[in-house]
Amino acid sequence: MNTSFEERLIKAVMDEHARRTAEGAAVVPGPVRHSRTRRIATRAAVVSGAAATTVALMLIGGGTTSAYAVNKSADGSVRVTINEFRDAAELEAELAGVGIAAEIDYLPVPQTCQPYRGERADTGGQMKVGTREDGKGIEFEIGKGQIGKGETLVLAISVDPADLTKPPAATAMQIVRGPVAPCEATALPFPSGGPAGESKRDGGSGPTTDIQRRDQHGETRSQQD
Amino acid sequence: MRLNEDPVALEAFYRRHVDDVMRFVVRRVSDPHVAADLTSDIFMAVLDSAHTYVPGRGSEVAWLYGIARNVVSGHHRRSVLEAQANSRVVGRRLMDDDDLVRMEERIDAERRLRDARQVMADLPEGERAVLELVAIDQLTVTEAASALGIRKVTARVRLHRARRALEKVASSAATYMGAEA
Repeated sequence: MNTSFEERLIKAVMDEHARRTAEGAAVVPGPVRHSRTRRIATRAAVVSGAAATTVALMLIGGGTTSAYAVNKSADGSVRVTINEFRDAAELEAELAGVGIAAEIDYLPVPQTCQPYRGERADTGGQMKVGTREDGKGIEFEIGKGQIGKGETLVLAISVDPADLTKPPAATAMQIVRGPVAPCEATALPFPSGGPAGESKRDGGSGPTTDIQRRDQHGETRSQQD
Repeated sequence: MRLNEDPVALEAFYRRHVDDVMRFVVRRVSDPHVAADLTSDIFMAVLDSAHTYVPGRGSEVAWLYGIARNVVSGHHRRSVLEAQANSRVVGRRLMDDDDLVRMEERIDAERRLRDARQVMADLPEGERAVLELVAIDQLTVTEAASALGIRKVTARVRLHRARRALEKVASSAATYMGAEA
C-alpha cells in the first residue's frame, strides 16, 4: 500500500457516502441501517424517484456533473461517458433518470468488487467499452432494452486514485437480475492467457479496455469486444 | 447545503479535521489499532449525522467533538468484536506498518494529556465532560457547551466545580504521595 491511513480512510468515507446517497439514506434523516433488505427496497425507490433525483442533481450540480455524461439517443440507446471516476452515486441517479438501474463502484487499483453480485441476466448483444478519443475516461453504449426491468447494470471500475481521469486498469461489467449484492472490495484477479492481454482499436475511438464478465459457468474471465 | 449533500464539502471537512480527530482519540486510548478503529468510527458517525450540519453555520469543531465524544464513550461500553460487526469500515484494516508507527508516535506525544485525563476520572460525568473538552481538547467553553448540548452558563458552572474538585484531588494525592515517600 502506498498511501497513508488518512488517505485510505477518506476514500472509505467517500465511498460509504456515495453508497448511502445512492440508497437515499443520506437525504433521509435518521439512523442508518446496513441491512441488505433495506438496500434492495431503497434501490427501487431511487429508480422510481429518478425524475426528481435528476432535477435535484442539476440544481446542486455545477462542477460536479462534468464527471460524466448520459445521452439518450432517438433509437432508445444510451451513451455513457465517464470523464472522471468520481461521484458514482450521481451517475447512478442520472442513469436511473433514463430508466437504467445501475450499481457503480470505483475502487483504487488493485481492488475490484467480488465477482458474484447476483443472478446474471442473459442479455442479447454485447456492450462495448472503450476509452475516449482524448485518452481520458471511458465510454459505452447501452442498447435499447439491453437492461430490462428488474435488471441492474453492475460496474466495478478499478482506477488510479492519483488521477481519476486516467482510463481504468480494469472494468468489470455485468448485468444482474434481481437483487445486487453490495460491493466488497477484493484483490483484482489478473487475466490469465487468451487474447485478453492485447490492445485493440474500437472503431477509432481509442483502445478498448478489458471487460471482465461472468460467463454462464460462473467463472470470471476477461474479454474484449 | 448540508454536509451530506456536498461530497466536496465533506472531503474538505475530513481533511480539515482528520488530524484533530486522531489527536482527540489518542488522548483517550493508547492502543494504535483501537485508535484507528475509533477514528474511522467517528467519521462514519459524521456520515450518520451529516444531514444535521450545515457547513459554516455554528462551530463545526463543537459539532464534530460532540460526535467524537459519543463514539469514544460508546466504545468503552462495547467490545471490539461487537463494534467491528456493526461497522462497515474498520479503521485498523486500513493501517499498514508505517501507519502503525505513526499512530504509536501520536500516542506517545499525547501521553501527558492521557495521564491528565486519568486524574479527572473520578469527577462526576457532567463536570468531567466539560473539563475534558476545555482542558484536554482546547475547546472554548462555548464550543464545549455546544458539543455537549448544554447551555453555556451550565458549562461554565460545571467547569468551575470540576476545577475546584481537582484542586482538592491534586492536593490530597500530593499528600498521599508525600506520605508514601
